[in-house]
Amino acid sequence: MVVNQVVVVDVINMIKMKKIVIALSLFSGIISSAQEKDSTLVFKKRVLESVEVDFLLSYYNQDGSKSAVSGGIGSEELTDIATNIVVAMPLNDDAVLTVDLGISAYSSASSSNINPFNATGASGGGDDDDGDDDRIGSFAAAPAAAPYGTPWQASSGASKNDELSAVTVNYSHSSDSRNFIWNADVSFSNEYDYTSVGFGGGIAQLFNDKNAELSLKANVYLDQWRPIYPTELHEYSKYGADFLNQGYFAGVTVLDQSGQATVNYLPSAFQTIPSVNRNSYSASVGLSQVLSKKLQVSVFFDVLQQEGLLSTPYHRIYFADKANYYIGQAQYIPQYESESNVGVYKLADDIERLPDSRFKLPIGARLNYYINERFVLRTYYRFYSDNWDIQSHTASIELPIKVSDRFTVFPMYRFYTQTQSKYFAPYETHLSTEKYYTSDPDLATFDSNQYGFGVNYTDIFTGAKIWKFGLKNIDFRFNRYQRSDNLTANIATIGFKFVMQ
Amino acid sequence: MIKKIVFVFFLITVLQSCNAVKEYEKVAINDPDMKLSARTSERYETTFQVYREAAAGANGGKSGGGCGCN
Repeated sequence: MVVNQVVVVDVINMIKMKKIVIALSLFSGIISSAQEKDSTLVFKKRVLESVEVDFLLSYYNQDGSKSAVSGGIGSEELTDIATNIVVAMPLNDDAVLTVDLGISAYSSASSSNINPFNATGASGGGDDDDGDDDRIGSFAAAPAAAPYGTPWQASSGASKNDELSAVTVNYSHSSDSRNFIWNADVSFSNEYDYTSVGFGGGIAQLFNDKNAELSLKANVYLDQWRPIYPTELHEYSKYGADFLNQGYFAGVTVLDQSGQATVNYLPSAFQTIPSVNRNSYSASVGLSQVLSKKLQVSVFFDVLQQEGLLSTPYHRIYFADKANYYIGQAQYIPQYESESNVGVYKLADDIERLPDSRFKLPIGARLNYYINERFVLRTYYRFYSDNWDIQSHTASIELPIKVSDRFTVFPMYRFYTQTQSKYFAPYETHLSTEKYYTSDPDLATFDSNQYGFGVNYTDIFTGAKIWKFGLKNIDFRFNRYQRSDNLTANIATIGFKFVMQ
Repeated sequence: MIKKIVFVFFLITVLQSCNAVKEYEKVAINDPDMKLSARTSERYETTFQVYREAAAGANGGKSGGGCGCN
């Protein structure tokens, strides 16, 4: 009897145990199920894990002998220092907001010669009392000493220096699968004589296990000039045919080709520009494809249309069929085209004139190959054509070499060649009967070679820290640029990437 | 010329698109130096090239805005 009672108790206990086990199993099942759901959420990788900040600094200088401001002759010396701060912020798992703030300050011998005359003349302090802050300088009513200038040196004109401020805000959003991304951006930039407002957007779709990507992009830029003109043309537009007896030219001697004083200078071809808008519309299609475990390629196809004021209002033109007139010291006239001219400047016949529309068609491709754990090959090619009859080819190659876990060095080379615009002719070779003309060497036929190197330091553990930000990456690069028309340039850039922790 | 280039790249892309590389096979493809875009620090070079040369675009960068006049 007792035995039977013990057995019954054991059975009851076993049933209880089973219930407990089943209950625990169910509970653990629910928990694990919940955990699986949670883990699904957890493993939806954020597009951007945390705030990233890029700080970039650049130094650029150039020199050449075909300044467009002086009609295709003279110093092209220019120095530019630029810096940008780019902050990328994750708004949630799928969206990133990027703000790019930049400032660029330059000093240019070329643009200083919008007003080429030294402190004894046009740039010589005072004010022209016309109420406008004309960038061409401040004029004394009648300078005591004769003004002079030269296209081969910087003048003290106010246009020697300028600053460019720019901001771009971009929002991008990825789908849960990360196979579809859309973005929208707005931008604004401003400098003394130019303002640009832009907006645009794009989409990207990934296919085939993220091995292929098709992207579409469109942008509109609505820009506006505040034209400034070469000193002599500004005065002509202001005072008309009698301008040699008024304003800046009152009391200033104008010389002819033989160095004799004359009153015949009359730039009658010049008219101020009625429309100051420049609109740019661009559409871009990009296709990238992983070709193998070590090889991938992308192709870009752009269409760009520009309308409005496409010339630069302070680029001088000297016609071959017009007489020459100067301000300065007569003894330098015979050597005007030589750097030994330090005392005379030729007065313009007109400013450059270019059509009010331009259609550009560039197509480019990148091909990157992972050679091995030490070497990667990066290549780029672009063909460009536009309806101003310019065609160009660009090819570049870069060979990143991983010298250690943290350091990569990358030598690079870029070749560029272009044919000239049908509106281009060198210094003093255009005829006054032409409709469009420019002596801007950037629109001439030339080749260029650019070569340099870069060093990249990456610390994925962000060991070095500033406040809450860990230093992830330092990128330095230096390049020298040599053009077949003797323009040379150097550019050095350093970039720091910080990650918020 | 342009048509030929487009056709060649289109052909390469179409022919290769069947051979999908799996995510776990993309160690080399995901290397930072393999990115199919210009480096961040390259932007200033692109800017001065747009100023000093007639060509622009087709490099994944900005394709307008600004006078480019200095």
